[in-house]
Amino acid sequence: MALNSLDAVDVGSRLRGAREAAGLTQTDAAADLRVARTTLVAMEQGRRRVRTEELQHLARLYGTSVNAVLRREAVHVDLVPRFRKLWTANDRAAERAARILTDLVRAEVELENLLGVTRTRNYPPARPLLPGDVRLQAENDATDLRQWLGLGLAPVRDVMSLLELDLGVRLYVRPLDSQVSGLFAYDDGVGACVLLNASHPPARQAQTAVHELGHLTSRRQTPDVCHSGRQDDSREERYANAFGRAFLTPARTVTVRFEDVTAGASRFTRRHIILLAHAFGVSREAMVRRLEEIRLVKRGTWDWFIANGGITDEQAREVLGEPNTVDPQNTDTRPSVSFRLGLLAAEAHRRELLSEGQLARLLRLDRVSLRKILDAADVDESDTDGPPKLPR
Amino acid sequence: MVLRSCLDDRPGPVVADTSVIINLNATGCAETILRALPNRCIVVEDVSRELRIGLETGRTDADALVVLIEQQLVDHTRLGDIGMSHFATLVSGSATETLDDGEAATIACAIERSAVALVDERKALRICADRFPNVAVGCTLDVLAHRHVRTALGRSLVDAIFNALDRGRMRVPDRYGQWVVDLIGKERAAGCRSLPKRFRANGPPSRR
Repeated sequence: MALNSLDAVDVGSRLRGAREAAGLTQTDAAADLRVARTTLVAMEQGRRRVRTEELQHLARLYGTSVNAVLRREAVHVDLVPRFRKLWTANDRAAERAARILTDLVRAEVELENLLGVTRTRNYPPARPLLPGDVRLQAENDATDLRQWLGLGLAPVRDVMSLLELDLGVRLYVRPLDSQVSGLFAYDDGVGACVLLNASHPPARQAQTAVHELGHLTSRRQTPDVCHSGRQDDSREERYANAFGRAFLTPARTVTVRFEDVTAGASRFTRRHIILLAHAFGVSREAMVRRLEEIRLVKRGTWDWFIANGGITDEQAREVLGEPNTVDPQNTDTRPSVSFRLGLLAAEAHRRELLSEGQLARLLRLDRVSLRKILDAADVDESDTDGPPKLPR
Repeated sequence: MVLRSCLDDRPGPVVADTSVIINLNATGCAETILRALPNRCIVVEDVSRELRIGLETGRTDADALVVLIEQQLVDHTRLGDIGMSHFATLVSGSATETLDDGEAATIACAIERSAVALVDERKALRICADRFPNVAVGCTLDVLAHRHVRTALGRSLVDAIFNALDRGRMRVPDRYGQWVVDLIGKERAAGCRSLPKRFRANGPPSRR
């Protein structure tokens, strides 16, 4: 079968990459294809030409398509190996997340290459961990980064855009197993990459995002898997946690707001928590824990509220009014691709560089989800009275 | 507006791409449509495999296709040797000149069976026209606009098309734009983001 001038060595090398990306051994693949392992080895080394039916079979086994393997511009980046030392043998959730991150990074880089654009990086200055109290260092580093970004001490309303557009981090939000909150990896070629769990509420995603920002600031060459509810008492993790809290809820701003909100009050009430959490765009629990940390309320305050009925969305509705009733802890409104990735995909589709099927596969989306993204980018080639062209 | 489907005079088989199956399912009356369509509908296994990816995100098109196959309204098939050789040329090479497996297999199967390829994708249409100019191509709306389908659906045609636009984000070629707007009405058309903008520009603001 004519594979459009791809030589057997190239095809074999691509197949090996796809197999490794799928985490399968040569023995696994050979058994599924019902050939001897030596035959599969010969295929991967280009000593035995691969038939199209075999390519289809292997692509299916590797969770991809023949086109995704053989497309000339397909990018072969693999971030999975650098995570391996972080997970135990049974940590399938982290492994799966690392594969999703790798696939999405490949997709974005391929789109950039096709469109001839480069990712602008604007990473914060590195701040290696110093001896002493890492929490104190994290507070200082978070404050410095805020100044560097020109944020001052104001609440950050959209952490995702800040990471993606201001810092140039490759940011993805996809459903992951519940025990994984997020991943961070840095590669000299593709830069800083963060994957967040779309199944977690937006406020929690924001907290994970700034946790990973802490890793980018302190030890960017070391990957991170942020597990939900798993206590990691290493200095790096304590730094990243403290950095995240300090970045989203700077102690000085929280103190000033707390004074404003509780002025004249003799008790700390649900109303105060709802207003403060809303002001900083964090969950009610995260807000109260931060207040406990900087000793504006007593330790155990959040536990007291939980033991006494918690704080309901109905109560928030009474305080904030209809549009702001829902705790950001409880909703998920993030799109399935970032703004930038969505625009790249839409442009590649508009120029007919990639088909709908290719894009859906590349971005790991079903067709209808992809169409919504393309429609949202307002791509309409037949739009004769469209917006002015950019001077390029 | 009187409109003729490209399938009106072509009684032979049609090979449906992933997009067409999704759109037909989105109409809510795929079974009625396929019973009315005189053309035998074929789906290649690469398409059903692609539809199964959607199961992870809650799309049920793969299951719906299985039902249509069980009802013998759709023939599920694999590529033969001729189709496989065309498939190989459509999936390997530069990104701009290749297609994903489902799209490529649909065109390859249409060549092999001398059938009409039903494809909604502009790039696939362009590649097919450039490399296989003798292959007849149609789209989802050619199925919905077929005179037998229109007769079978009657007044339900309006809702079927609106559902395909609304739930499936069906793509609408220019030649069908005005017909679709005339059918579903300007007000509903204004909310259909997959309609080319100039066909929905005069309605009230979208609520979606």
